[in-house]
Amino acid sequence: MSDRWRAVYGQLLAVLFALAIGAVIILMVDESPVKVFMTLLRGAFGDQAKIAGTLLQTTPILICGVAACIGLRGGMFNVGIEGQLFLGGFAAAWVGFDLPLPAGIHMLVGLVVATLAGAAWVSIPAFFRARYNTNEVVSTILSNYVAVLLTSYFTIFLFKRPGGWSETPPILPTAYLPELFSFSRLNWGLVIGLVLALLVAWFFRYTGKGYSISMVGSAPKFAEYGGINVKRQGFLVLLASGAVGGLAGGIETLGVHHRFMEGFAPGFGFDGLIAALLANGSPIGTIVTALFFGALRSGSLLLEVETTASREIITVIQALIILSVSAQVLMKRRGDSTAGERRWKF
Amino acid sequence: MEVLDKLLNVALLVATLRTTAPILLVGLGGSFTTKAGIFNIGLEGQMLVGAFFAVLGSIWSGSAFVGILCGVAAALVFALIFALLVVTFRANEVVVGLALNILAGGMTISLMKAVFGTRGSIVGHGIVGLPKVQIPWARELLGSWAPLVSGYTPLVYVAFIAVPLLVLFYRRTRLGLYIRVVGEKPEAAEALGISIARVRYIASLLCGLLAGLAGAHLSLGYITMFTENMSSGRGFMAVAILIFSNGDPLRVLGGCLLFGFADAFSLRLQTFGFPSYLILAVPYVVALVALFALSYRSRPRIVRETLESMRKLLSVEPGRADVDNNPPR
Amino acid sequence: MAVELIGITKRFGAFVANDDVSIAVRRGEIHAIIGENGAGKTTLMNVLFGLLQPDQGAIRVGGKDMVMADPAAAIAAGLGMVHQHFKLVPSLSVAENVFLGMEIRRNGLIDHAAQIEKTRELSERFGLRVDPTERVSLLSVGIEQRIEILKVLARGARIIILDEPTAVLTPQESRELFQTLRGFVAGGMTVIFISHHLEEVMEVSDTVTVLRHGKHVATRPTAELTKADLVRMMVGRDVSFERRSREPTAGDVVLDVRNLWARDDRRLPALRDASFTVRAGEIVGIAGVAGNGQTELAEVLTGLRPASHGSAILKGRDLTTQSPAQIREAGLAHVPGDRMVRGVDGGASISANLLMGRQSRAPWSRNGILDWQVAASQAVDMIKRFDIRARGPQDTVKRLSGGNIQKVVLAREFTNDADFLLIDQPTRGVDIGAQESIHDEIMRQRAAGRAVLVISVQLDELLTLADRILVMFNGRIMGEVDGDGADGERIGMMMAGVEAGEAKGGAIQ
Repeated sequence: MSDRWRAVYGQLLAVLFALAIGAVIILMVDESPVKVFMTLLRGAFGDQAKIAGTLLQTTPILICGVAACIGLRGGMFNVGIEGQLFLGGFAAAWVGFDLPLPAGIHMLVGLVVATLAGAAWVSIPAFFRARYNTNEVVSTILSNYVAVLLTSYFTIFLFKRPGGWSETPPILPTAYLPELFSFSRLNWGLVIGLVLALLVAWFFRYTGKGYSISMVGSAPKFAEYGGINVKRQGFLVLLASGAVGGLAGGIETLGVHHRFMEGFAPGFGFDGLIAALLANGSPIGTIVTALFFGALRSGSLLLEVETTASREIITVIQALIILSVSAQVLMKRRGDSTAGERRWKF
Repeated sequence: MEVLDKLLNVALLVATLRTTAPILLVGLGGSFTTKAGIFNIGLEGQMLVGAFFAVLGSIWSGSAFVGILCGVAAALVFALIFALLVVTFRANEVVVGLALNILAGGMTISLMKAVFGTRGSIVGHGIVGLPKVQIPWARELLGSWAPLVSGYTPLVYVAFIAVPLLVLFYRRTRLGLYIRVVGEKPEAAEALGISIARVRYIASLLCGLLAGLAGAHLSLGYITMFTENMSSGRGFMAVAILIFSNGDPLRVLGGCLLFGFADAFSLRLQTFGFPSYLILAVPYVVALVALFALSYRSRPRIVRETLESMRKLLSVEPGRADVDNNPPR
Repeated sequence: MAVELIGITKRFGAFVANDDVSIAVRRGEIHAIIGENGAGKTTLMNVLFGLLQPDQGAIRVGGKDMVMADPAAAIAAGLGMVHQHFKLVPSLSVAENVFLGMEIRRNGLIDHAAQIEKTRELSERFGLRVDPTERVSLLSVGIEQRIEILKVLARGARIIILDEPTAVLTPQESRELFQTLRGFVAGGMTVIFISHHLEEVMEVSDTVTVLRHGKHVATRPTAELTKADLVRMMVGRDVSFERRSREPTAGDVVLDVRNLWARDDRRLPALRDASFTVRAGEIVGIAGVAGNGQTELAEVLTGLRPASHGSAILKGRDLTTQSPAQIREAGLAHVPGDRMVRGVDGGASISANLLMGRQSRAPWSRNGILDWQVAASQAVDMIKRFDIRARGPQDTVKRLSGGNIQKVVLAREFTNDADFLLIDQPTRGVDIGAQESIHDEIMRQRAAGRAVLVISVQLDELLTLADRILVMFNGRIMGEVDGDGADGERIGMMMAGVEAGEAKGGAIQ
């Protein structure tokens, strides 16, 4: 397993390198890198409430990350998680106020519907990818734009609250995801996310189906030769990925915002994808990277308040990290690649 | 009828050509990387930084043309980073492209706040937009059809003139030939001493050049301002077009005109009271439908055996062509 | 001396491809370089041509020391290389391909007319007939090779290197090629060619160099050597091309192929009206030059390609209507020709590779859950039984040698209890020691009553193994020959397209 540790070590170096460049950029916008990083730390872990806030941000990133992992293991780039998130969140909100059910059941139904919505949203790109090899990167990205516009449209024109705000009416309390602590909106979604990550990791390592899907992702022609229906698995993988993306949205609605609104949970889909890439497609690794990005996000809120740097500096740093990591580990071709990394082949 | 007349008239065609221009520029830029065998999904980011730095440059220098240069320079830097990571470091081109897009988004907003102290958008501040170009004989020769060829900002003309130039480029220049060879059969290039890396770097830079122009057009052309995420997916639409046009300049033109028309037409519809969100979604939906529809019909052929580094983008639907030596029916 | 390679050493990591190799090639001679797979022939020529840089050693051309930093330097020195796998751009014309990299330009633009004219000139001067305006994607392999040679000539090459030039040619085309080569040396050029085809080497070369395991064994005038001499030098010990002894078996028909047609990736018919049977306990060999439909045949039988007509019945099930999974269930095991792409996942462990096809079966999995202990212990068993040289079941497959990777594939496929084994190129890229053990294993499967279909471009291998040999040419089965006492000459003619009836001794039309 020294191969694997070598890969992790390589990732860490890349992250540090990116942070160094980030520091330089921070200097260029007339701020002190040390101040920025300290503020980020404090914003993320400063006190109980802040830690809870970090975990709150981590949850959707983690779940979206797991969604991305599922796709990546199957050889698919689901960049449409953002859109699936929105569809799921909206669907959950709809169930939340339009479908009165007893407590507990209401929440579960909401989550299930959110999951189905996410899967449904990705099903068309998934179909075309499986059957006709249509590039899913482009189709899922474009469908993100449509998803955001569509859900905004539904929110405003079908469910608008009289008097202006573009958000759905609040969902009924019976649909709420219960909170974990009283001082924060941190809810059971985090637990769901952790359990999901573990389940998915276990699935890929220890089940026959998981083995088949992994082969589809890393050696598709070998998989086809071995009798695996590559197209069908590819389709199912994207569906599963979209479903988890929808679930993330459902949790955001039912656990955090208790409504759906325009500008709902922006960017978690991409953060999840980046977390998954940084973790090399490993769901367990994604727990760590999602926490890292969650901390960055949470910390950046304080950053915006206490320094002149904007919170988008975080985005810049994330992008730098991925660029740095891609240069040394995420090799495009197999063969001369070094340690035991996954090969993302097309 | 009057409604139809209102909907479809010269103004619509003019609007079509106007909205086609940026996506045409970035699409043609993408044709360089596509033909060179690289899947460049970072077009969006290159356009965005092009737009932002064009505005910066224009404010700083007081000249729109300097603004264009700055926009192009920024896009070139991004293109260079892309080439460096993908060609030299052999990183995954989708990951790098996506990361650069994210970088562009974060960077432009951060800089916006740092330089102007606001978010959202930059208007005024002394941005100098591009002038409209009037073609002298247009009025006399074309009468009411004159706006179809005259009165656009310079980059629109550049976009359309670029099409035949690129056709010529690919067929008759050495660099164009090499770009095609590198994308279609890199081993051939290598064996003949053509540096694949160098050609791909050049292709990437050429792409950045045009993407930068596209971005500059966005922010200095008809609307002189910069907004967060201004490119709003046009780069991705260009990628979709490149997928089913395979980088061929004429097909790219066709695809871009289609989207330009969809865009312009849908804006028209807005004046008829259609909900704006749905209208805004139309171009993306058209792009998606075209992507799906054309994947279905296009054939694998040479492209399949060649563009190794690009995802397999074409269908495997068996054809009905009849060849001799057929088995008995 | 036209070319001298002095003390060339080239390593790839720990593997030494060329170990202090020195060769001298005289001007005006046809110099063959032979050796078995992995001897270092292609590597050496790639070093000579500047595609690879040697770790040690020097190159002299015409007596002058040269550094071949890249192919451009080699070309400038008067060298030209025709590769085994052609590097032509399909969407371009012949003339464009010939002038690729040295385009004729006028006013900055490419002058296509001049290129076409020049290509025509060259083609006539050297007797290599081509149509300069034709698109390469439409041309046959034989003509493609002519274009590759024209490319080399257009650059003024005086020393021409050919890597396995006859691998994809029919015997007739090979003869034409040799005539062309003789014409070259008559005109003062020098020819170096790599081959593992002893007959051809004996026939056309003046001097032959033998490489073995990266080392130089000998360089001698061909006239002084016999085939046996060459084999001995190549392998280091006498190898008998002997036929394997066998019990007559042959039971019921297991595979019944009738009027099978299929198209290749270019939508052209690649398999035409193939009909044959394979019985339990017999080995049927499919002979033929690569690219005559054998690959397509294998793909159709294993469900990886649709048939356009006809049927292939395996124990009552028509394979042409089934998926790869169903076909495996019906009792077919497949050792694919494209080992690294189809046969294994190079980046995975031996255990993981052996699991393919079994991942939902007991005892490897129960209720869908994998038992890696079982997989590992089975892998250990296989490693022992098939003599796989590896450190353990966790070893990554791509680190193994070609022969051992093939053994992993065999281990997986031969232990499936399949009734029908389809083996495509059993010993490609496998050194002779491992070849023997693989042949042993195949004979064992035959003795166990399995129906075996072996596809191979190495005719000698089929002569050793097969009970019956079918020869394929241009997608058709030209004829069937009994393995016992088979006439290599007759088979060779069928491989060249001569019908079975006419093949006896007559001249080829």
